[in-house]
Amino acid sequence: MNTPAPTRRALVAVAALAVAGLVLTGCTAEPDAPATGKPVVGGTLTYASGDAEPDCLDPHVGGNYPQALTGTQFLESLVSRDTTGTIIPWLASEWSESDDGLAWEFTLRDDVYFSDGSPFDAAAVQANIAHLQDPATGSSTGYLALQKVTGTEAVSATVVRLTLAEPDSALLESLSQPWLAMESPEGLARGMEENCAAPVGTGPFVIKDWVKQDAITFVRNDTYDSPPADAGHEGPAYLEKIVWRFIPESASRYAALQAGEVDVIDNAQPDTIVQADKGDSIQHLDAPRPGAANRIELNSGTGPFTDPKVREAFIRSANVDDGVASLFQGTAKRSSSALSSAEALGVSRPKLFEYDPKAAGKLLDSAGWSETDADGYRTRDGKRLTVRFPVSTNQSIPAEQSLFEQIQATAKETGFDVKITPMDLSSWYGALGSGDYDAVSAPYTKVGPDVLRILYHSDGITPAPSGYFANHAQVNDPTLDELLTEAGRESDAGKRKALYTEAQDRILEGFYVLPLYDQQNHYLLGADVEGARALPTVSTPTFYDAWLSR
Amino acid sequence: MAEPVRRTPALRRLAARLGGAVFVLWAVATLTFFAVRLIPGDPAEAILGGPGSQASAEALASVRAEYGLDQPILVQYLAQLGRLAGGDLGRSYALKLDVGPLVLSQLGGTLVLAGLALALAWLIALALATWSTRGGRIAARVGSGLEIVAASLPHFWLATALIVLFSIWLGVLPPISTPGPAGLVLPVLTLALPLAGFLGQIIREPLLTALESPFVLSALARGESARGVRWNHAIRHAAIPAISLSGWAFGSLISGAVVVETVFARPGLGRTLLNAVTVRDVPVVIGVVMVVAVAYILMTLLTDAATRIADPRTRAR
Amino acid sequence: MSDLELQAELGLGARRQGATRRPRRIAVAEGLAGAVALFLVLSAVMPQLVAPGDPLAIDPLQAFQPPSLPHWFGTDESGRDLYTRVVHGTGNSLLIGVLATTIGLGLGVLLGTLAGMLGGFVDFTVNRVLEVLFAFPGLLLALLVILIYGPGVATATIAVGLSTAPGYARIIRAQLVQVRSSAFVEAATVQGLTPRRILARHILPNTLAPLLVLATLGVGQAIVWATALSYLGLGAQPPAAEWGAMLSAGRTYITSAWWMSFFPGLFIVLTAVTATTLGRAIERRMRHA
Repeated sequence: MNTPAPTRRALVAVAALAVAGLVLTGCTAEPDAPATGKPVVGGTLTYASGDAEPDCLDPHVGGNYPQALTGTQFLESLVSRDTTGTIIPWLASEWSESDDGLAWEFTLRDDVYFSDGSPFDAAAVQANIAHLQDPATGSSTGYLALQKVTGTEAVSATVVRLTLAEPDSALLESLSQPWLAMESPEGLARGMEENCAAPVGTGPFVIKDWVKQDAITFVRNDTYDSPPADAGHEGPAYLEKIVWRFIPESASRYAALQAGEVDVIDNAQPDTIVQADKGDSIQHLDAPRPGAANRIELNSGTGPFTDPKVREAFIRSANVDDGVASLFQGTAKRSSSALSSAEALGVSRPKLFEYDPKAAGKLLDSAGWSETDADGYRTRDGKRLTVRFPVSTNQSIPAEQSLFEQIQATAKETGFDVKITPMDLSSWYGALGSGDYDAVSAPYTKVGPDVLRILYHSDGITPAPSGYFANHAQVNDPTLDELLTEAGRESDAGKRKALYTEAQDRILEGFYVLPLYDQQNHYLLGADVEGARALPTVSTPTFYDAWLSR
Repeated sequence: MAEPVRRTPALRRLAARLGGAVFVLWAVATLTFFAVRLIPGDPAEAILGGPGSQASAEALASVRAEYGLDQPILVQYLAQLGRLAGGDLGRSYALKLDVGPLVLSQLGGTLVLAGLALALAWLIALALATWSTRGGRIAARVGSGLEIVAASLPHFWLATALIVLFSIWLGVLPPISTPGPAGLVLPVLTLALPLAGFLGQIIREPLLTALESPFVLSALARGESARGVRWNHAIRHAAIPAISLSGWAFGSLISGAVVVETVFARPGLGRTLLNAVTVRDVPVVIGVVMVVAVAYILMTLLTDAATRIADPRTRAR
Repeated sequence: MSDLELQAELGLGARRQGATRRPRRIAVAEGLAGAVALFLVLSAVMPQLVAPGDPLAIDPLQAFQPPSLPHWFGTDESGRDLYTRVVHGTGNSLLIGVLATTIGLGLGVLLGTLAGMLGGFVDFTVNRVLEVLFAFPGLLLALLVILIYGPGVATATIAVGLSTAPGYARIIRAQLVQVRSSAFVEAATVQGLTPRRILARHILPNTLAPLLVLATLGVGQAIVWATALSYLGLGAQPPAAEWGAMLSAGRTYITSAWWMSFFPGLFIVLTAVTATTLGRAIERRMRHA
């Protein structure tokens, strides 16, 4: 494949060591039923994914969530995180930061081999970082995460040193994400097309084959023995095989799980979660993604939303609370923060996002949108107050699309003509790229408040090599830029918190975003699936410890 | 039309039919080639991942050169014809696979689905038609009413109803297509029921006519059992109009497969086609359409031949 | 053969069957179909009369209500009343069906008349064109049109219209050829009537009458196809009150709210059955008129 699927979700870190004590309890969860009994070796687990089928299984290329889901099964990263938010060893057994923060040394495990037989060593790490930073790879997530890394050096076969342009307290968390996982250099050397079809890693499973539009088959890596420090056992995985199917219809996915045709489904719909929670034949794993909350971003670069009053009016005119309550049936909570509830440094400002159509009307009056046309929409100079809202049907689950329709209906009462256009992913990226939008909702996964820099620093208006730009609200505020840059370098926990709080206040008070709820990430599992968990990094499921009690 | 009856030599007729088929294929290829030029947007950009990729000018240029998009349109057209003649259907923009092998790999699933559905539809139609031609006026009314309703059932709704009934309420059949035979039941049923409605309506009348015809009466008089007569004589006569319908049935099954394979998450030609239309994967759409067109033309040739053999009256035409 | 030709053929079959006995009175089925058709047309033209509510009005606190007295067909995920939406969707769905049929029939009449009347080289050419179009059976031609122009209501309507056109053309051509060679036209020719008079007096009336039957049958067909495209996400888009789009939205909640898919689907089936029954009834009556 010669083009990346641009990133949609990425993850960066909490300034790991500095704040490790404070952070993150809610970003992962165990299934309802604890694993009991002795694990059974063997068996095939069938997974049904509602996410789009990746174009390329190498998560370096582009770097989106579907790639993270599949990548987690056969690739491994230098470090991982545990449920308390502490960085733990994985392929690297220890690491240290230089005093000036401009160099990091990683000591690698010396007993790990890629599944093609080549050794995992310092040269392999160098090759991977070079691959991620090569514009030809078209990496977006990994590329952005390594922005401060300027060089690599193999100190010895098992020690690799990274040099940085400026201190990066988020480096370890960056390296923990599946988009920066380690692949065999020989595999990478085969060229993009071959590597996309079957990347070679060190993980507990190996890609056996990939029948496009149907399924990927993973088989157990029998020589595997490099689990992250928080895994439940050592040695090879229990399962013999994972069949990874793509079933875009959510109702089909759930019905298939009920019928026992598949063992695990992702992207579970609220009504099926409620049903599953009532009975005991299906387990529920709720693992909200870290990073940004799901939100509608208002394009402050062009169109009606250049005026902060109009942005505020839109936010005040949208009745989100009732919609979230009815559509998500208690499976999601309304957010009033730019960050996921998993982020300790998140600032919530519920007052700013209260439904108040009266105030909205007044704001529009004072912004010059004071006339009303025959259809009840506000106009200014004869032009209707139109909000173009492209919606990616691949990224917004049906309940979310219904919420947008409800926002459309309530905003109409104030006089906004919200034009929702459902689109496939490629056309949606196209609409964003050409700036043809006034409002947009794009999920973004990234651990830690540094996600704010990606999403709201004016540098984010310039596209990454993949063509994707993350600052959809097109916030261009020098003061905010400065705050975010400063916060990304600050290692003192107290000062860092103050900087991020100020930055979030600026974003929220500027009415650039309408927060909705945490990024939903619900897995449903058959009753006989034991030991499956979501990795505490970006909440992708790992089946290394999983076994089937049937 | 009152044409004089001529006897054309079989070989010449065959050559004419084959010539016609080749013409249609050429026209289909030409039509699709120029229709695709109407698609707004730059094909080179589409190859590079659509407008979202914001590909660089160099990348676009290299793709244009690689795919021959920088050549004059006539050269491209001739090259395309040449490739098609050689069986090369091009390469998918989205899947990065050769279209020919892709389509072949998806063909089997769809053929199994369509074949079973066709067989089941015939069974249902025959059973209903014989029951209702035998059971008096009430049965005839009920039978023909059922046929009209069945023929009006949209596949997408029928599939949903069957899933609710058999998978969600009764829990006896899988709601997605699984490799085993159980996974085929609902998809086949969804395709077969509307088809049975149409087939039933078609064979009802010839069946009635045949049953009232002198040869059936004489067979009955000879002491053959009523059932034997129905099956031996009547059904054979009823089958003739139905053979000529196979072209229509084929189109109906292909359209149905698009829906059924999507609803039941079953790999096949229909799902591939729909996915490709949704992401505007031009080579795959063209590839599937070409394969279906070829299959359709072959079907027409075969059914023509079959009708000639089955019904001597048509031979002279 | 196209769906349409098949429908027409079946109508002829029914006629032959009934040829021995004149329909004495309106059959129960025809009466029912007439009543349903009246209801559908009323819903399409004056939806407010049949369902006074607003099909887009949301009420999140009333979401997912099963059918009840205040909500005959239940409510959807945003608390919109499904009865109101289905009734208001009739206009959209019928309009799409009628427009698509008009396009298909219009093109069909044009091609069919050219071929049937002019004969010779024109007939040969039109026949080859039709052969080529028939090589895209069923929804294939429609999908090709959508590939080129992108999904949407307008494209779906045109796509369905175009893909039905060859069927109409072939029926009309056959009809014309049959009428032209019939005894009374030959007689008129012998009497020295001008071709134009023959066309106006004899051929057109005998060809136009079946068009009404075709159109009735065709609208039912077109609605099923257009809703299929909406269901597949290639036609009308939510929250538009269009049956296919509503059915598609309902499928997400099929395990907990069956009514969301059941009622829009029921109306599609009802419309198709009504169109078939009426089409055949008209056909029968015309033959005996």
